[in-house]
Amino acid sequence: MQATFKVSRYDPEAGGKPTLQPYTLELPEDATVLDGLFKIREELDGSLAFRASCNRGFCGECTLRISRGGRLACMTRVATARTKDGEVTVEPIRYVRVLKDLVCDMDRSLWQKIKAVEPWLQPAARPPEREYIVADAQLRPVRNAMKCYHCGLCDEGCSVIPFDNTFLGPAALTKAYRFLADPRDGARAHRLRGLGEPRGMWDCVHCYEADEHCPRGIDPTHRILDLREMAIGMGIKSGATNPQVARHYESFAASVKKSGWLDEGRLALETWGVRRIFGLLPVAWRALQRGKLPIPYRHPKRAGAERIGRIFEKVERRKP
Amino acid sequence: MPKHSVLIVGAGISGMRAALAAHERGSDVALISKVHPLRTHGGTSQGGINAAVRDGDGVELHGAETVKGADYLADQDAVELLTGAAPRAVIELDHWGVPFNRDPTGRLDARSLCGATRSRACFVDDMTGHAILQVLWEQVLKAAIPVYDEWVVTKPLLDDGACVGVVAIELASGKVEAFTADAVVLATGGCARVYEPTGAGYGVTGDGVALAYQAGAPLMDMEMVQFHPLGIRGSGMILTDAVLGLGGHLVNGGGERFALKYAPTLGERAPRDIVARAAEEEIVGGPAEFVALDLRHLDGEEFKSRFPFTSNIIKTQAGVDPAKDTVPVRPVAHRTMGGIQVDSDGATGVAGLYACGGCADTRVHGANGLGGNWLLEALVFGERAGLAAAQEARSAKGIDARLEDERRRIAVIVDRPAGPERAGPMRSELGRVMRRCVGPLRDASGLKEAATKIGELSARYRKVCITSKGRRYNYELGAFLELESLLSVGQVIVAAAQFREESRGAHVRRDHPVRDDARWLAHTVASFRPDGPAMTSKPVVVTKWKPEGRRY
Repeated sequence: MQATFKVSRYDPEAGGKPTLQPYTLELPEDATVLDGLFKIREELDGSLAFRASCNRGFCGECTLRISRGGRLACMTRVATARTKDGEVTVEPIRYVRVLKDLVCDMDRSLWQKIKAVEPWLQPAARPPEREYIVADAQLRPVRNAMKCYHCGLCDEGCSVIPFDNTFLGPAALTKAYRFLADPRDGARAHRLRGLGEPRGMWDCVHCYEADEHCPRGIDPTHRILDLREMAIGMGIKSGATNPQVARHYESFAASVKKSGWLDEGRLALETWGVRRIFGLLPVAWRALQRGKLPIPYRHPKRAGAERIGRIFEKVERRKP
Repeated sequence: MPKHSVLIVGAGISGMRAALAAHERGSDVALISKVHPLRTHGGTSQGGINAAVRDGDGVELHGAETVKGADYLADQDAVELLTGAAPRAVIELDHWGVPFNRDPTGRLDARSLCGATRSRACFVDDMTGHAILQVLWEQVLKAAIPVYDEWVVTKPLLDDGACVGVVAIELASGKVEAFTADAVVLATGGCARVYEPTGAGYGVTGDGVALAYQAGAPLMDMEMVQFHPLGIRGSGMILTDAVLGLGGHLVNGGGERFALKYAPTLGERAPRDIVARAAEEEIVGGPAEFVALDLRHLDGEEFKSRFPFTSNIIKTQAGVDPAKDTVPVRPVAHRTMGGIQVDSDGATGVAGLYACGGCADTRVHGANGLGGNWLLEALVFGERAGLAAAQEARSAKGIDARLEDERRRIAVIVDRPAGPERAGPMRSELGRVMRRCVGPLRDASGLKEAATKIGELSARYRKVCITSKGRRYNYELGAFLELESLLSVGQVIVAAAQFREESRGAHVRRDHPVRDDARWLAHTVASFRPDGPAMTSKPVVVTKWKPEGRRY
């Protein structure tokens, strides 16, 4: 079959902007997009830079934006990747610095972030003589997280990273989860304190885009929420430099428990503290003028508040 | 000029295991690799890692089945080392954090792989290699071992016959740099890319094998190439043969289940060489270009939950639903039993140069490696090579001049005048002739044709031009250098296949159809000569398992 590829070309040293260069090529019916890229490099244009390794959908190296969707080039057939006008567009994944053509700075965007979560098992004691005796069910979540082939598509989908590239992001947090879920690890409190620092797990806005983008079905957003749950359960809420996160969380829950709904004034006051609340005075003034200033603690209970309160009590009793 | 005590070339499973061993000995060790460690090829290994850890099994039985699987071409002292070290190697991985599947008592579970009478392969769903690779990388990070990734090694640095480092190109910058070391460990993986199609990744181009060969280290049993029966139509992507262990059937073009003709007891669950050869015979003698993998009688839901990766590959690559249709497959080149000849500590015979993993012939796979022994071999002999390399100490002289020579050589390659010859299409030509003439079924005339073709390709190789002159991420230059490795590896595979006039394991000569223990209970050894490999043979080490007929 004949196919037209439009491939993003960019050399930051030469300057300019990325451009889509068209190539027309003859390919077998069952060819993959990666087959097409190799054909271009080997026969039409030797200067095209892209990465590829296992050619089996295992290693994540050839992750690209193919016809506007993040996919592995080796697992995407040309026949199914065409856009409406019959072309295949091939671009680097977004929000990552491009080094050349389709080659991105994965070191800065992914590997360094993973390294930041101390990604190695830290057992509490010397290991046993033989293997650890562990129920298989306890390792299942670990294996689920380790299905990750580090393609970076969850980070590409993340709503926070385009605004703050220093956010650890769902890929690195999923890596952290892999250890926190592991019954053989003994550094849970230490890990959770680290992840509670700014740009860690509390910066996730739980938009669930990571779950939508993960091709491995790992659901990274859920793993981040699991981390938060573990932290709350262990009484570790947020780091020394961002204590307002934990206070926000606690105040939110306390308010709903008491009155059945959110006391916004109380939330602002308890999150930011008396001193920092003065910074919010201009907002408060405008809200007052419009009759919208919430007065902390003078918050009427909503109908059924007692029942909601009982839900909280029930859940709290269940906690270890 | 970076300097380390031990330099490991290749950051895959065996390379990282070697690095951790050297680090544990207190050595200043570094890894250099053309891809990031997590993109190396051991990560695609699915089935498991063999270790006699369960009741009713033992290292003795593991050894016996390994030797029989190897069609008695394995050196039995090495096999005893391998199987004896296996339980500890697997438990060590568990202690490092590999989430091996557990049985109901919480102990390591194991599955049955082809050629084994016990469930001996410890596994992590259908991503055992993927999990091991991640955990080794974690340990490398913990040990803060430097990794130079996306550096392509072009040449060993030799001083007075000893290896004192390597020269490499950084892909990101095009910079050519010398890395010096007291010892170099090659862990570059196999060379199955010399075939097309193949299930091996793009990087499996035999770089380390060719590099050692040209540095004077002999290669052993290079004719022993394992074909995997389950290469899917199209790309040749491989499906794990654990699906045969689970009860999958192979059916020929006439709709007949054929494996029992070739292995009356085990059928599809016989070792890979036998199943691959059976499939090839059926294809050569039948109307279809493929045989069919039939999984329709298996529980579809159970299959999907136990083999999620595999289900996905079948769906996206073959475009069929295994619950309703059969999957077209054929044998494709998979692994190389042969490689750089090494002793049990990875020493190659060139002072300061060690090898482990896919590029080395650690003598345990013989004429056919069993599923589950490959990951094990990479770990056990990777560790031994790393420990041995950490003992070395030597000083290097005259590095600057050699580095300048190599820089000039590469500059000359890039500046070659334009011409019609390109590396990519030539690699394809090489791969296709290798598959046709040096595949699962061989004979003298086919081998001669392959030898002639490789001679012709080698001559044309000197005229290949690099059209891309840029320094940064010049993958065309990388492909050119890989083709050089593939041509020299291909040449040795053909010469060794011509030399071994018998049929044993993966090496089937239709003109010499029987195993000949009187003459060929011996390894083939190829040494570099400018006019082509010099072939000799070397007896197999037999300790406790006398060669017998091999029936499954």
